Amino acid sequence: MIGEVSHFFSILASGLFFLSFVFSTRTYNGNHNLELLVSRVFSYGFSFILISFLLYVWLAIQSDFSIRYIAEHSNKDLPIFYKISSIWSAHEGSMFLWILFLAGWSQLFNYSLSKNDLLKAPAIGVLAFIIFGFLIFLLFTSNPFETILPIAPINGADINPVLQDPALVIHPPFLYLGYVGFVIAFAYNTAFLIKGDMQINWESVIRPWSLAAWILLTIGISLGSWWAYYELGWGGYWFWDPVENVALMPWLAGTALIHSLYVSSRSKVLRGWTILLSISVFSLSLFGAFIVRSGIIDSVHAFANDPQRGLYLLAFSAVLITSSLTFYVYRLPQLISKNLVVAKSKESFLTINNILFAAAIFAVMLGVLYPLIFDYLYDERISVGPPYYNTIFAPLTFLASAFLVFSVGSLWQRSSKLFYLNSFLSMSILSAFLITMASVYFYQEYQWWFIGGIFSGFLILIRYFFLIADSFMKKNYFNKSSATAHIGLGILILATSLNAALSYEKIINIKPGETYKGDAYEFYLIDFDLINEPNYDSVQAKFSVKDINSPNEIFFMFPEKRKYFIRGQITSESAIKITPLKDIYMTLGDQLDNGYWVVNIQYNFLIRWIWIAAAIMCLGGFAALMERLRKS
Amino acid sequence: MNNLFRFFILIIPIVGILFFYNILTEDKFYPGANFKNINVPEFKLTGLQSESMFVNKDLDNEMLLNVWASWCITCRIEHGFLMKLQSEGVLVTGLNYKDEATDAINWLNLYGNPYNYNLHDRKGSLALDMGVTGAPETFLIKNGVVLVHYSGEVNQTIWDKVFIPIITENEMFK
Repeated sequence: MIGEVSHFFSILASGLFFLSFVFSTRTYNGNHNLELLVSRVFSYGFSFILISFLLYVWLAIQSDFSIRYIAEHSNKDLPIFYKISSIWSAHEGSMFLWILFLAGWSQLFNYSLSKNDLLKAPAIGVLAFIIFGFLIFLLFTSNPFETILPIAPINGADINPVLQDPALVIHPPFLYLGYVGFVIAFAYNTAFLIKGDMQINWESVIRPWSLAAWILLTIGISLGSWWAYYELGWGGYWFWDPVENVALMPWLAGTALIHSLYVSSRSKVLRGWTILLSISVFSLSLFGAFIVRSGIIDSVHAFANDPQRGLYLLAFSAVLITSSLTFYVYRLPQLISKNLVVAKSKESFLTINNILFAAAIFAVMLGVLYPLIFDYLYDERISVGPPYYNTIFAPLTFLASAFLVFSVGSLWQRSSKLFYLNSFLSMSILSAFLITMASVYFYQEYQWWFIGGIFSGFLILIRYFFLIADSFMKKNYFNKSSATAHIGLGILILATSLNAALSYEKIINIKPGETYKGDAYEFYLIDFDLINEPNYDSVQAKFSVKDINSPNEIFFMFPEKRKYFIRGQITSESAIKITPLKDIYMTLGDQLDNGYWVVNIQYNFLIRWIWIAAAIMCLGGFAALMERLRKS
Repeated sequence: MNNLFRFFILIIPIVGILFFYNILTEDKFYPGANFKNINVPEFKLTGLQSESMFVNKDLDNEMLLNVWASWCITCRIEHGFLMKLQSEGVLVTGLNYKDEATDAINWLNLYGNPYNYNLHDRKGSLALDMGVTGAPETFLIKNGVVLVHYSGEVNQTIWDKVFIPIITENEMFK
């Protein structure tokens, strides 16, 4: 019964969004009453979708197994928050959440934008059209409200155990919030392009929205990486999986967008480029949704399903992207600024980095599509792995870091003299160079990516150190949010480079009572425990680990293997000992016939710092957002 | 220069869209379907309703092998379609997967039995060898060779689009 009500509210909402869109097409000549109506109908649409979703959450909590989706992905014995998160553990429900967030962002925008804004009604119209399109997709090809009649099953099928994890409860919502957050920039700029009034200052409207979306997407991606690290048991933080890549592309485009927006709002150059970026970010989000949900690519994340969905998503994305780009191409001559970008000005360096970002996006896109193209042409399956991405990504990152550092001391609209002998830039380059030489000597690591990584990481950190120190001495203003975010970037580059160079693993065979003596630690396997939990059985190894350098320090590690009853799935729960500089990461393998167990011990250096760096970057973004909000 | 840029901005996404359209509408594209012709691995399993042993040569020449379990909700939804297939003369053999025999037999008694007989793969060993990742999955087998491996629920659409072309091509179930 509640299921039908929830379903009904979603249907009503789609009707309201459609109405709002239709009304908005009549507002381009400025009909104030109709503009108000567009906004109001939109608000009702959002309320209905919210009610529908809340009822659905209620159904999930109540374990209403007459709803097919809930029966297939939830279970009576699950704790309540997994019952709720089971909603976004598969295609239909996660699409529902996606739409809720899409509508939520749009409603927040609708609510906060002044009603005198010339582009409000048209922009809301574009948003209404997008939400309507996705609701139709949900209701006709991926209906989460479908029921099992006549007899509901007594219990549900359970969610996949690797998804029964706190990070997975929050990771998809953040990712979706970030993905769909860029819809505001897309809709507002599309409305701007349709209307064609070049006086409108769209940069200042979409800047805070794009920043907020960027922060959430960064959090979403980092949480995903953190989850993969401790749950999948492979000990890595990034796998260049197609689904990670389709999240990375909007992130890269979004990063370029927030920088490019900064330039456009400062000096009115690059307007055409910035608009193209704002269209691209959301288009890449749509592309990601298409790749993941059409089943076109095999991946750990893919939702296997029928081609109808893929076709619908493709058609709908095609309508959105091509119509928006058509308006773009039509208006482009008006967008191009009379002012040229001065060489060695701040804009020029940011422009170069824009190009580097575009190259990075293209490289990732190629990596994702290449297997598809190959399969299409030669009927053969191949996969593109980390070596490809690392080879392309590392040099691009180093180059971008160099231009970032150049831009720090440079001036807007004026050529800046950067390379005199005692400039901060020269001093930073020199110090970074010395530190790099010292590290290469110390670690005996001569790989080009290691040298480049250490150099660019330190270059950024030192340049910002000089900037901050100088500003404090002279009591000058400096952009604190930008400094924070870029220091985060510097740490990220250092942490990833050192992690790649220093981390190593050992695979050992051991049985209870034996000791394995590693380089820095002694591992003593005490014994095994058998644990019976309500939804799984587990074998847990008990290790006591001794630090050879300080023998008084002993700690325990408990890697385990679980077997979940309902799906019969076996998962490995790694034991992780966190120290400031490295993680000891232990995974329990199989038992051999002679009573020995295979245990994998990894030393992951500086891996925590990768997520700390991401957090610092988010913090910088957040400070910038607060500053924006205060100014407006 | 500028016009060239404008042209490319529009043409690149359109080419991409047409490419994807082509892939999606290709006949062989069906997520979940795998057409590699592999042999059924060696196995030795007891029946579900009987204690007798089954090995490779006991399989019918032309058959559908359906992996199912009583805990599997999707199997319950697929069940109706399998009943229909059986009534149309398709030989469906069940591979009961990671399930207790009593649960499975109760399930069959409650909802009806679409299978001519059932193998009991309690540990999922045969299923593992055949590349099963979860129930339900369905194999179309002729003379010990898997022609189609489909992961997920088989319904009328999937049957018509994925299975029927292969069945007609190989002149099966006459």
